[in-house]
Amino acid sequence: MGSHAQTLPLDPLPDAIATLCDEVEESLESGLLPARVFNDPEVHRLELERLFARSWVYIGHESEIPAPGDYVLRYVAEDPFIFVRDEAGEVRLLFDACRHRGTQICRADKGNTSHFRCPYHGWTYANNGDLVGMPAAREVYGGLDRSQWGLIQAPKLERLHGLYFACLDESAPPLDEFLGDMKYYLDMSFGYVGDLEVVGDPHRWILGGNWKTTAENSMADDYHVTFLHRSMVQLGLLPDGGDYFKACHHISPGNGHGVSFEFSGPDARVNFGYPDDVAAAFGRNGLDPQQADLARRCHGGGANVFPNLAILFLQLSPTLGDDAPTAFTSLRLWQPHGPDKIEMWNWVLVPKGSSDEFKQQSYRAAMATFSPGGVFEQDDSIAWRSITRTAGTTFARRIGFQFNYQMGDQVGAVETVADWPGPGHVTSHAYEETLHRMLYRRWLDFMRNEDYPPSWTDPRVVVREH
Amino acid sequence: MTDPDPADFLVREAEHLDNNELREWLEGCVTEDISYQIPIRITRERGAATDTSDGGWLMNEDWHSLHMRIERLYTAYAWAEDPASRTRRFVTNFRLNPTETEGVVEIKSNILLFQGRYDTAGHFLAGERHDLLRLVDGAWRLAHRRVLLDHTTLDIPALSVLL
Ligand code: FES
Ligand SMILES: [Fe+2]
Repeated sequence: MGSHAQTLPLDPLPDAIATLCDEVEESLESGLLPARVFNDPEVHRLELERLFARSWVYIGHESEIPAPGDYVLRYVAEDPFIFVRDEAGEVRLLFDACRHRGTQICRADKGNTSHFRCPYHGWTYANNGDLVGMPAAREVYGGLDRSQWGLIQAPKLERLHGLYFACLDESAPPLDEFLGDMKYYLDMSFGYVGDLEVVGDPHRWILGGNWKTTAENSMADDYHVTFLHRSMVQLGLLPDGGDYFKACHHISPGNGHGVSFEFSGPDARVNFGYPDDVAAAFGRNGLDPQQADLARRCHGGGANVFPNLAILFLQLSPTLGDDAPTAFTSLRLWQPHGPDKIEMWNWVLVPKGSSDEFKQQSYRAAMATFSPGGVFEQDDSIAWRSITRTAGTTFARRIGFQFNYQMGDQVGAVETVADWPGPGHVTSHAYEETLHRMLYRRWLDFMRNEDYPPSWTDPRVVVREH
Repeated sequence: MTDPDPADFLVREAEHLDNNELREWLEGCVTEDISYQIPIRITRERGAATDTSDGGWLMNEDWHSLHMRIERLYTAYAWAEDPASRTRRFVTNFRLNPTETEGVVEIKSNILLFQGRYDTAGHFLAGERHDLLRLVDGAWRLAHRRVLLDHTTLDIPALSVLL
């Protein structure tokens, strides 16, 4: 079934970057962060090696490859992999590189095939990765053990609520452990909502920015919403005033993951904003009663599975009419594309059992707001691009320019919710930057540690530890 | 205003878009039942039946959602288009098909759009338009547009203009 490969030990961290990591740690103690981490070729190279090649990362949804032979081309950061369902129905992630000389064997974004044939010399692989044929095999390859020359499988691939995550490091802990208490909130959302399916194909576009900026933004940057997206307030599509953030909580489950969700009171039936006829199918699915209760009164919001999988559960309207906003769910991958660019992947998901009419309505709401032409996202791109621009300047480097992440720590007033029914550290409102700081804390873990970074939960303990 | 020639209409329409006269465009160039679509394009093996996404769109608009997008650009906070980009639409290779219905034509054209932003080099988008035009009070209006972009992954920060 394809081939397995052993990953090599990491090279030691170069001195300059070790020094930068020390600086990051020290800065984080006072809620600051050196601008340099947002646009630096060496930082980028080491992120690929130490973070993306070791962390669990999102690959795709089971509904994208429903039938045997279905495949889509995916990336782990910048490396190409084929996400395929083999003839036996098993889902695999195969490195898109011929074992003979490394030629790319899959160039289509998606399709259905029983075999992949290399265009260079014609080595042919079954869709489970096995090497099954080579031109003139009898004449030239007598003695070659085909079982050793299948396509290389990603070391780890796991499924959670239809979402597939992979990890390129076989020493990594299982997905559950990597997620830690984030799993509670993925169960509470994806588990509660139940079977989803991807509509069409992902939006893909390349924008200026660093993946960390966008990850922190979509996870927990509630502070920018009513200013950067003020056009939507002026159109009456977003509530005005600074009050909306008060109903929203920042939940830090540990390990750099984060959730920024809004909840209504004890008896509310909100169901992530899905209409009652759609939400009738939600619930239960093995959740404990507290989880199901939280889910029932949850409006959703943004979340991030470390490092770069953003999740949106939102309700917005694509028109100025009086139509109620429509609920939608998106999964979004901020793929690094060099130190100052991102290739953005955006999937819209709809409840499998909902009507075609609702599915279309939900897709339209998502597309109109969060997509390359989305009226929210268009404006985000302006801020993100210029942050890397600043970070890449000589002057910023020369003066050790630091970005400010002090909200809710050094300054401002945010309280911990003491009687929260679920796990994690929970803040009383969403104008604060604990989750941002936790993301960089975990980033530091991966950049520095040669051994697999241990799990942690409490943000207070971690910030103050060193 | 009359456009005896459908191609003349497309040139006049492009002028509105190039000049950022978007309210005028919505007011004077489209029908109330307009359907405006840009499907996601995907790379498929040669011989695959289609290379547009089944159900995935960059835009799939009706009059009301176009109206929202356009009105947004007239607010003081539409940062993606403030400062406004400079756009130039080159509309060529017209292929006209009459239809069964009086006063309705199908016209295909190629579009190349240049978008200049700030002090950067700007970028191009290329594609083919499949338009359905209808005569309203003696002038053509756009009733349906489907733009087949020649891009899968868009190398642009945002799709902030109409094609
Ligand atoms: S490189 Fe693939 S067959 Fe030679
Ligand atoms: Fe935003």
